[in-house]
Amino acid sequence: MNVTYLDAIREAQAKALARDDRVFLYGQDIAAFGGAFKATKRLAEEFPGRVLDSPISEDAMVGLAIGAAIDGMRPIIEMQFADFSSIAFNQIVNQAGTHFYRTGVPVPFVIRLPSGGNKGSGPFHSQSLESLYAHFPGLVVLMPATVEDAYTMLLDAVELDDPVIFCEHKLLYYHLKADKLPAEGLPIGKARIARAGTHATVVTAGAMLHEALKAANQLAEEAWEIEVVDLRSAKPIDTDTILASVARTGRILCVAESFPWGGLNAEVIARVVGEGFHLLDAPPLRLNSRDTPIPYHPNLWAAHRPTAASITTALRKLLGF
Amino acid sequence: MGQLDGGRKLEFGSGVREGPEADFRGLSGEIGCTGRKPFFRVTRVSAAKTHRSPSARAGSKHQTSAPHELLLSTYKWMLLARTLEDKLASLYRSGKIVGGVYLGRGQEAFSAALAAHLDQAGGDVYAPLIRDMAGRLAFGEPLIDPMRTYLGSPLGPMRGRDGNIHRGRPREGMLAMISHLGAMVSVVNGVLLSRRLRGIGGQVGAACVGDGATSTGAFHEALNQAAVEKLPLVVAVANNQFAYSTPTSRQFACADLVDRALGYGVAGHRCDGTNLEDCLQTFGEAVRRARQGEGPQLVVGSLLRLSGHGEHDDAGYVPAAVRKSALAADCIDLAGGRLIERGWAAEVDLATWKSEAVNRVEEVLEQVASEPLPDPLGETWCALSVRHLCEGNLGA
Amino acid sequence: MPRIPILMPQLGEAIAEAVVRSIRVKPLDRVDCDQEVMEVETNKTNMGVTVPCRGKVVEITAVLDASYPVGATLGYLEVTAADAARAGFKEPGPTRGKRKPANRQATGAAAAKQGEAVNGGIHFRVDEEDAFTVAEPTGVRPTVGLPVPANATGATYLSPRMKARMQELGLNAADLSGIAGTGAGGRVTIEDFEKFVRQLDSHAQSDASPMRIAVADAMRRSCLRPLATVGRPVLLDRLLMHRKQSPSKPGPTLYVIRALAIAIAENTAVGGRLVGGKIIHPRSIDIGFAVEVDDGVLVPIIREVDNRPLREMVEPYNQLVRQAQSRKLSLEATGTGIATVTNFGTFGLVWATPIPLPEQNLVLGLGAGRKKPVWSDEVEAFVPATEAELTLSFDHRILDGGAAGRLLSRVADLLQKPETL
Repeated sequence: MNVTYLDAIREAQAKALARDDRVFLYGQDIAAFGGAFKATKRLAEEFPGRVLDSPISEDAMVGLAIGAAIDGMRPIIEMQFADFSSIAFNQIVNQAGTHFYRTGVPVPFVIRLPSGGNKGSGPFHSQSLESLYAHFPGLVVLMPATVEDAYTMLLDAVELDDPVIFCEHKLLYYHLKADKLPAEGLPIGKARIARAGTHATVVTAGAMLHEALKAANQLAEEAWEIEVVDLRSAKPIDTDTILASVARTGRILCVAESFPWGGLNAEVIARVVGEGFHLLDAPPLRLNSRDTPIPYHPNLWAAHRPTAASITTALRKLLGF
Repeated sequence: MGQLDGGRKLEFGSGVREGPEADFRGLSGEIGCTGRKPFFRVTRVSAAKTHRSPSARAGSKHQTSAPHELLLSTYKWMLLARTLEDKLASLYRSGKIVGGVYLGRGQEAFSAALAAHLDQAGGDVYAPLIRDMAGRLAFGEPLIDPMRTYLGSPLGPMRGRDGNIHRGRPREGMLAMISHLGAMVSVVNGVLLSRRLRGIGGQVGAACVGDGATSTGAFHEALNQAAVEKLPLVVAVANNQFAYSTPTSRQFACADLVDRALGYGVAGHRCDGTNLEDCLQTFGEAVRRARQGEGPQLVVGSLLRLSGHGEHDDAGYVPAAVRKSALAADCIDLAGGRLIERGWAAEVDLATWKSEAVNRVEEVLEQVASEPLPDPLGETWCALSVRHLCEGNLGA
Repeated sequence: MPRIPILMPQLGEAIAEAVVRSIRVKPLDRVDCDQEVMEVETNKTNMGVTVPCRGKVVEITAVLDASYPVGATLGYLEVTAADAARAGFKEPGPTRGKRKPANRQATGAAAAKQGEAVNGGIHFRVDEEDAFTVAEPTGVRPTVGLPVPANATGATYLSPRMKARMQELGLNAADLSGIAGTGAGGRVTIEDFEKFVRQLDSHAQSDASPMRIAVADAMRRSCLRPLATVGRPVLLDRLLMHRKQSPSKPGPTLYVIRALAIAIAENTAVGGRLVGGKIIHPRSIDIGFAVEVDDGVLVPIIREVDNRPLREMVEPYNQLVRQAQSRKLSLEATGTGIATVTNFGTFGLVWATPIPLPEQNLVLGLGAGRKKPVWSDEVEAFVPATEAELTLSFDHRILDGGAAGRLLSRVADLLQKPETL
């Protein structure tokens, strides 16, 4: 069996629908059409009345999910692209994010955000918004980087009693494959050491994990052993695992596809400097995409986001200190 | 606009002033407006007034009921709301309330009339707006909730974490509004869709907005969404002529907000927001139709906000002509006058009810004033219900 | 014909710029290889600017009395292509006028190669038909490493982790002096450090005494300052004669202590400390003297030496020596002095560069006396005399060689009149 990252998301939704009557799916083009990326393929047939097409109304989609969640349901919302969730920003951060704290009533639902860049996708179909949503209280922000995590984390997300922003990376949809789906995974909130090493730590998540692993492999040819931490969750951040890794290596590079200003990389580095200053043998570094909108042409795009090559360059700098 | 003329005639039912007394024991959470038995019947003989949308059953003959005790009990909720809000305004002026105080003065009839037709115990859901004190009380909000929320009591539903008009009891069908106008409508849709998916029928959801909120994308998205799903939603638009200081002429360009019902494919209703009987009758109709599965109902009431946007605002921008117009009539005075006129109450009854309301308000104030204040050391500082995922203390 | 720049030359260590003081050529002048065409002035010296090959001056861009960094273009020569090539210029024109920043941020990214292997040990893989293959962006520059913070290059830079680890092990920066750092700017990395620590385990080790550790701490702190030493000979015969005739037999050190106190009292600034922009003068002339004890040195203090004649100090001095040797110094005698006298001559040493205590500016040393022939005008012959070396170590921020030498000479003079001490 060959399971793609996208299959894992589809299967996780199928399983959630099958095992929990409270689950329903709501989003644009997700019913008969099966979704823009086919993440809900045939689910409308298998679960009649529980996979619903929405109007192009991101605000109302999320508002509806909040109302249903208040009423005891566990909706999964598919944003067609993460970029479009900006329309629902108010409902996500002001309604969903504040609801439990204000009222004591949790709002359990999941928003799936097809995230990240792809060749030729341009400024409005490429964004990585995990830092944006992680900024606001009351939200859990997940970033599965593997087929296995895409499956187990989505199932876990549905069971969580709080709103979950599920950042799935479009670049991984068709290309990332596994032999089979796992029975269980690491708990939500735990980071994973994707590759052990001793000379420097790379902290990353999502599609950037694979770029970081490529960079680590390249440097391994020169006898550098790079440890790669897959955050899995942008909020909460597994600070303990990161600090333990920095304790092993003394050097840290944070890599994210999101924009550089503030954000996840800055957050990780702030924590490492604040709690693990004594562990650092070199200035902590970060690598983000550039501070421009995401360009259309592949040549520009490849130089906009971090890649294995730019991660290698940054690591050489770090190792050269 | 004349009340109850222009195409309606009253048919009187049984005896006068025999309806059950409204229960002011707000603390218990058991609220009145239980009577649904018709005492008088309003027969609509012309649809022209309320049915501007052709899709909304134009021309159909329709009957609904606004029982005499419903009128009385709703009047009492209005009175209680007004009394409470006068007290809140006074507390604000004496510096006892921080933040803002937003009053529903002049909107009590429109507000309470909707809630009077909702059945909290039966599972109806209600998303009030900032000027819906009367509706909240009529729906079933314990009288102590607003007092506790305004004063930030940790024993109130918001526990000092949110204040004033942002309160709610979501598990009991009353949603806690956020400040962003129009945002609650789709949330009500969500509750209603949930009921449908769970196979529960016969329940309605009501969302209250003002004329300003009709300009938001959220309102548009949500009303369209409700129409697509044919949800049993009643949207009450209190057109109080001003969104903060912005007059309706700068808010929308359609002749009447109810015209929008046609575009959304929902039923539209209009009523005189100063006239309790008209409001009760109109909402009775709208709620009944929603409950029967006829899809979303848009009810627009014309009225005037008889206060500033908040107590910090003297509403000096309201022109004198508007202040003197029929819209500026006080719905409580009108309703009281009508009760006396019809012989359903005497002056002395009104005075008694008022004094009962004052006593109730003073009672809850006394109780809340003796309650502890929120304690930052005892606060969880956790915005997630799943505590082990909380990072709430990082900033401190 | 190619144009080549006339460049501000290298000006010597740590000098980054110079002011153009004269321009000796004008456009259209013909110049020869290595001809001086300008004179520039740095804060240390004046030097000439030469041209790298013969040619014709076509432009002078430098402005008189303006300052230019090393490598800046000051003007242009027109030269033959052959001369230009010989001088190392491939392209004409201004090539080195502006210096690029030393470390450029990594500029995005060269793309990964198609079909690049992904770590086989990981339980997922990226399909070969990956979307990552795109044209290689140009302009990505290889980088060597991160810059070490300014003013903290080389072995003096300690990372937070190094500091934490050293604190944990009770080490000081001076302990790292034996490590050749492999990090940026020669800094000691944590790997260098741990290797060093591991290597120490292969040696025999013994605990340093508390006295040793205290001395080490004082010396280390003292060496945070730029220290210098001057020395000159002094004849001791009169001192020794005076001592012989004194019933109390004051030690030579005491003569030196007294002479130093008188000399400092004449200008207290030399006994002061420099803190920020101020000389902190001593409140009183309290002089210490070094007494060797087991595994270290103690420095008892004699208070207000300038106000006490030599004969009155003999017994207190002797008592302090005894107390120090038995480690029973009073609190009064262990305080802070303004200078120290050390008689390293007692070890047979003739010359040394003692280090002043961290809170003091001066340490005056006395070497071993030796018999030397000295010309005597009286007898018109060489006569035997006893001569010793007097040294003065000092904080060069406060004193220069001349001032230190004058102070030392004043002490030597005073020692020639022991009866006045």
